[in-house]
Amino acid sequence: MPESSISPDTRLRVLCLEDNPLIVFHLEQLIEDLGHEFAGSFESFADLKADASLDRIDCALVDIDLADGPTGPAAARWLSSKGIPCIFVTGQEQVAARHPDVAVDTVVKPITPAALAAALTLLANAKRPSSD
Amino acid sequence: MSALDPIDHTTLDHVLVLAPYRRDADYLKQLFVEHDIPVDVCIDVAEIPDYLARSPGVLVATHEALTPVILKDVAGHLASQPSWSEMPIVVLLDRTSNQIRVRTELARVWPRARQLFYQRPVTPVELISGVQSAMLARLRQRDVRDHIEREIELRRELNHRVKNILASVASIFEMTHRGANTLAEFADDFRGRLDALSRVHSAVFHAADEEVSIAEIVDLTFDPYQLQGQSRVVTGGPAVMLTREAGTTLALCLHELATNAIKYGGLSTPEGRVSFEWTLSEDDPAMLSILWIEQGGPPVVEPSRTGYGTRYLRAALGSLFGSKPVMTFAPAGLRCEVSGRVSRLSRNP
Repeated sequence: MPESSISPDTRLRVLCLEDNPLIVFHLEQLIEDLGHEFAGSFESFADLKADASLDRIDCALVDIDLADGPTGPAAARWLSSKGIPCIFVTGQEQVAARHPDVAVDTVVKPITPAALAAALTLLANAKRPSSD
Repeated sequence: MSALDPIDHTTLDHVLVLAPYRRDADYLKQLFVEHDIPVDVCIDVAEIPDYLARSPGVLVATHEALTPVILKDVAGHLASQPSWSEMPIVVLLDRTSNQIRVRTELARVWPRARQLFYQRPVTPVELISGVQSAMLARLRQRDVRDHIEREIELRRELNHRVKNILASVASIFEMTHRGANTLAEFADDFRGRLDALSRVHSAVFHAADEEVSIAEIVDLTFDPYQLQGQSRVVTGGPAVMLTREAGTTLALCLHELATNAIKYGGLSTPEGRVSFEWTLSEDDPAMLSILWIEQGGPPVVEPSRTGYGTRYLRAALGSLFGSKPVMTFAPAGLRCEVSGRVSRLSRNP
């Protein structure tokens, strides 16, 4: 199981910005399968700003289109400015490609476990202290 | 109808007059202004590119304007036109010129232009009616442009929606696959969820403004089981129109509740009952509350392992209403309730 390869050092608390509850539901399962922790979700940039207690969030999966419009890139920029790296998870990879500075990676929908795993592993390895 | 009938010039482009002789320029400007036709006048040849950049709808050129520099600048502008555009150009030819030669030459150097020729001296009524019909032709070209742009926009939106649906189906597939113990169970559950998705899609597609009422979602959830109209299923609430997205999510949630009730809950026994009611508060902001209650089914035990239905309901209702649903596995029957601002689910609450 993937869990065995995840140590507390590399376990990520992952926030989701996604307005399709089915996808949130699927992401939650995939995140847990990979041994990471699902830290909740917001359906809009407005909800995120209104409510976010971003303690201990390690990274965020961000769709381009949210319930308040195509606000994903702005939300990713906002999260990045708070030190939270973002990964776009979207069917609009062309739009994502126009915002390379606000996300470290893009996972194209429909989501495959392998693609999400690769993107999260990159961040998890970056999280591991380089001293060990 | 005469071409001099008033037309709504606010919807029209402007005319660009190319007239190197100031007297001609002033006369033409005066004439167009008198007839409420928006006009730019270019006398200085060096400024033509700037004037063309303002996208005139119609060009009016005097014979003296047909110089090599102007011919080239206008030709460049015509070549850069979008595919829908074929700019009308009105040319005022000198009476003494070889008109056939000029027309042949202009047809060659200015392709993709609708050229209209007058011989000077031209009467104001002739010129104005010619320019007005050129502007109407231009208006029709812009209608074509608007249609093309609308089609591009529709194709983009269609692609976006198809991708969303495929992503939803992929997620339903993955999650159903995980929850299923046998292939038969997987097939049943997957088919049921796809049917629910497909029914709500049709309802939203046929609705005006892509909005759907809660009552309609209730109908399309229970109709396949022919449970409506029986005393076993009681539903009701005020008229609330939901957005396409909110309607889809509520339909999938009700599908999970209904199928669970039929398999294990309040609709799995002849004497069991289900009620689904929704209310709208008069607060500001108005709150929408939904309440699902099962009664008379087998004694309910909280499932040891949380299945697709429960997990989906928690995630979906939570995201839809902005607050966590309360699901109570009371021995008498399952209860599920949640409330949130109606503005989250409805465009015009």
